[in-house]
Amino acid sequence: MAGALALQSGPLPDWTAVSPALILALTGLLLFVIDSIDSDSDNTVLLAGLSTVGSLFAFGVAGWFLVEGTGQAATGGAISLYGDALVVDGMSLFFTLIFTIVAAMVCIASLDYVAEQRHQAEFFSLVLFAATGMTLMSMSNSLATAFISLELASLPSYALVAYLKDNRGSVEAALKYFLIGALSSAVFAFGISLVYAATGSLLLSDIASSLGDADGMTGILGMGVLMLLGGFAFKTASVPFHFWAPEAYEGAPAPISAFLSSASKAAGFAIAFRVFVEAFPLGQLPAGVDWVLAFQVLAVVTMTLGNFAAATQENVKRMLAYSSIGHAGYALIGLAALTAGGPNANVLGASMAHLLVYGFMNTGAFLFIALVEYWGVGTTFEDYNGLGARAPMACVAMSVFMFSLAGLPPFGGFFSKYVLFYSAIEAGFWWLAAVGAVNSALSLFYYSRVVKAMWIEDAAPTLELGSKPVGLYTAVIFAAVGTLLLLPAFQPVIETAQTVATALF
Amino acid sequence: MAGIFDFVPAIVLLPFVSFLVALAVGNRMPKGGAFAGIVATAGSFLLSLATFFTVSQGQTYNQTIYTWAQGLDGAVTLEFGLLIDPLSALMLVIVTLIALLVHIFSLGYMNDEGETGLPRYYAGLGLFTASMLGFVVADNLLMAFMFFELVGLCSYLLIGFWFREPGPPSAAKKAFLVTRFGDYFFLVGVVAVFATFGTAAFAGSESFPHLAEQALAGETSVNTFGFAAETWFTIVGLLVLGGVVGKSAQFPLHTWLPDAMEGPTPVSALIHAATMVAAGVYLVARMYGFYALSPTALAIIALIGGFTALFAATMGVVKREIKQVLAYSTISQYGYMMLGLGGGGYVAATFHLMTHAFFKALLFLGAGSVIIAMHHNENMWDMGGLKEKMPVTYYTFLSGSLALAGIFPFAGFWSKDEVLYETLIHGLGGSPILLVAYAMGLLAVFFTGFYTFRMVFLTFHGKPRSQTARDPHGVRWNVKGPLAVLGVLAATTGVVNMVPVEKLLGIKGIDFLHQWLDMSLDGLTAHHYAELTPYSSAYIGGEATTVAIGAAVSLGLAIAGAGLAYVLYNVPEPTEHTDKLGGIKTLLYNNYYQDEYQVWLANSVVRPISRGADKFDQGVVDGVVNGVSSVSLFSGSRVRRIQTGVVSNYAALLTLGLTVLLLGFGLLGGWFQ
Repeated sequence: MAGALALQSGPLPDWTAVSPALILALTGLLLFVIDSIDSDSDNTVLLAGLSTVGSLFAFGVAGWFLVEGTGQAATGGAISLYGDALVVDGMSLFFTLIFTIVAAMVCIASLDYVAEQRHQAEFFSLVLFAATGMTLMSMSNSLATAFISLELASLPSYALVAYLKDNRGSVEAALKYFLIGALSSAVFAFGISLVYAATGSLLLSDIASSLGDADGMTGILGMGVLMLLGGFAFKTASVPFHFWAPEAYEGAPAPISAFLSSASKAAGFAIAFRVFVEAFPLGQLPAGVDWVLAFQVLAVVTMTLGNFAAATQENVKRMLAYSSIGHAGYALIGLAALTAGGPNANVLGASMAHLLVYGFMNTGAFLFIALVEYWGVGTTFEDYNGLGARAPMACVAMSVFMFSLAGLPPFGGFFSKYVLFYSAIEAGFWWLAAVGAVNSALSLFYYSRVVKAMWIEDAAPTLELGSKPVGLYTAVIFAAVGTLLLLPAFQPVIETAQTVATALF
Repeated sequence: MAGIFDFVPAIVLLPFVSFLVALAVGNRMPKGGAFAGIVATAGSFLLSLATFFTVSQGQTYNQTIYTWAQGLDGAVTLEFGLLIDPLSALMLVIVTLIALLVHIFSLGYMNDEGETGLPRYYAGLGLFTASMLGFVVADNLLMAFMFFELVGLCSYLLIGFWFREPGPPSAAKKAFLVTRFGDYFFLVGVVAVFATFGTAAFAGSESFPHLAEQALAGETSVNTFGFAAETWFTIVGLLVLGGVVGKSAQFPLHTWLPDAMEGPTPVSALIHAATMVAAGVYLVARMYGFYALSPTALAIIALIGGFTALFAATMGVVKREIKQVLAYSTISQYGYMMLGLGGGGYVAATFHLMTHAFFKALLFLGAGSVIIAMHHNENMWDMGGLKEKMPVTYYTFLSGSLALAGIFPFAGFWSKDEVLYETLIHGLGGSPILLVAYAMGLLAVFFTGFYTFRMVFLTFHGKPRSQTARDPHGVRWNVKGPLAVLGVLAATTGVVNMVPVEKLLGIKGIDFLHQWLDMSLDGLTAHHYAELTPYSSAYIGGEATTVAIGAAVSLGLAIAGAGLAYVLYNVPEPTEHTDKLGGIKTLLYNNYYQDEYQVWLANSVVRPISRGADKFDQGVVDGVVNGVSSVSLFSGSRVRRIQTGVVSNYAALLTLGLTVLLLGFGLLGGWFQ
């Protein structure tokens, strides 16, 4: 408590509340400096170590703030900065935890993955800049900062997907990602302008307060809202803005796929949660602008399409890409099951908690793919045959990720999904939960295919694994331990998430 | 207060520990782990005695010891607990005593006979005893159910002990499946009790019998699923009764019990006297406050009991193997207990449960002794003349037989007479259906007397009819000791409740068992049960006269049956008289075709239904599941086809999707007006 009080009123000025973002940005700049001095540096340990330390430092600061109550009701509420353009509250800190821990895991894992590549410093600095952008997304309190931070997160991502410059798949995926991203950004910017036209403001709180004056402009406002939704749907890889995801995840270096599918997706949700809940509160919307219904449609379509498509994939990485679309559908329940006066904080908090657990299990799964790519084993289910006998520890971890993604006990994914569906039922949307449950049952099919291939099928006689890379192993095991520990530790997580979500309503 | 009740869990745990010890290190112990079992059951017996005396000081104990599922927001809480009242304390003593004697006897029956697999045998006995004791002290229906199932499992393991022979495994499976059939109803009943009352506790103000009583009085309301309260309670009671009928081998689920004779004889003694079969009747006694509320359930219990008593007794008349006779006598005697419970005679039934435990354990151990002597030939027609060769076995067996036949003054006379007397007076008091049950019970007395003494005469009297009978194998102290103890008990335990003496001679205060059962917790006393039952009493010319007439008639019938057996079989060279029965003989030999009709039922009725269910499962359920997955795979491949890899297609689809959304919501929200 003492630290928190000090932060609110004492020696630490308010601007230090954004220090997680500052730390990330400074680490990125430091890597940039290294890159400028020695552009061909191949001291991967230094680079990866520096970026990991930076991410973990930001994680620690965000965690400390969260525990001490910075920006939360206990210490005087959200901290607004720069003319309300940014806001630091419990939710932004919670999401910062997700971004930074995923960034840390990705950086450690990349230690081995990029060891043979050139321009390594660029890689790590881009990761950190993207993380900075995501952190700012979670803090954005106006549509202008929302757009800028979204671009700040996106642009490094495009470059990162294209990092394997000599790999045609990587370059092609990046171009597609960029083109779809550009289109989505255009839609998003157009949406912002329409909302501005209807309400005369870009600040979320001002938009909310002028909703009542938007009479006669319902159409403009409604189109603006749907187009904003489109922008976020791009970031979260939700239907129909998901087309880039399978391509980009498959083509990108696997650690980057992990980063995009976990952290970047969570960032999209962070900003979507804030914008829709703060700027377009349910009680005050003019009739005809029913964004909850739009999210319900998107949630159902996204989870169904993601899971159905994942079921038919032959390529494990692509299967995970579609499963990540399916999980976006589950997380969308957080916005789809809101009602005026309902248990909204519970629903939103459950979605946030699911994203945290998802950050561990999905990152871990993609990092396992990175490990397999590192070994040069193929990409299809058949290529995974018999891996369990050769690399038992990593395969146990992968099995944990698969079962946790499917939502089976005793892994973290069980509780987060359970609470998410339960809170949807509590809010009266039993059918959303039912669709989610049916989809989860279906997802078990393709997740268990991986496990079956690894443990039950016999290996091809030629299967030879190379060395055991330290960084990748560390990251994978760390993610697995996190996934396991989040089952017993789920109580504080969900309580924190639901508490910080309460502050939004 | 660190009293004796703190040690009650040890009564259950000691045999359980002996189970673990015998299982783990039985091979390395002398006698295959027998001593661990003997020490454990002796310890349990002593603790039970201490508990018994503490209860006799007027103390009772009803305590939850472990909550394994805490119900939140009005959901049910699942607990383990102990309920020590006069009924369970009495049962503890009976069970531990019989278990101890059976362990000792097993030294003679199993070890001395050079059986193999003894650690498995003693482990089974230990677990069996522990399960039954856990069942006895259970303070709620769910815990009782769990131990009830454990008892069933142990009986399966022990009946099938000689699993290399063809008979025992099949008998074990039959016992398991038939009792399991009854237990399905029991399980549904447990769920129904939880759903109705939110608790399954036996005792206390929040117990389900008490809540049911209040609900009928209109003082509280429970969820009766749209039925009238009394109808619903009857349904629930009958569901639980399904388990009782299976375990206590009542008609029509009695068929497993004669087959269960394939198990080792000490196990039969344990099953019949103190554990598995007793569990069913004990359960009804335990929740008698619930059954007493439903006249229909009571009438059904009485009818099942009376019918089973007669039905099984007639089948016992023609059997050739000594253990088969005893098996049918067990079914018949538990029928009497059910008759007593259904007829409003809670004390009488408990009394008979107790006396029967002693004399039936005695008879089985006696039969075991005979079987040792006869080199495991069980056919009575090969015996004869064993009286002189094995006097201890003969006299104790005779004591048990006199008790079983209900001859004055042996234990069985008093308890059986009281069961019949209670049924009679309640039947006369305006419940004619009880008179039907009474008539069947009374008739069964004659058959009981007949088959019992047919067995005694064939086995011990006359001239030896085979070489082994002329030169039987001797038995040692470990067989004679338990027989002697039980022989005394079978002769004398009747004194604990000599109601006829009290009524006829006017001596007050010698109905000790009645007083004992009245010392229980509020709502569990015999007195309270008597108030709850829907019966009133009437007499034939006064109470004492009715007692005298009832006793005289039943004693007369028993002596008549025994006398007939004497005339027919107490001759030096008895011959089979069954041919005189004509067609009935075949019917009786085949046990009224009970097995045949149950097999027919399984083959012609259940199997088509199962086939239908299988079709439904394969066709409809799996069809839906497969349909969903093939739809998903099909549409999944469609989705794959949409994902062409051409980025301009993506841009087009994305724009198209957004346009659809905009148009849809625009039309819905009236943006274009």
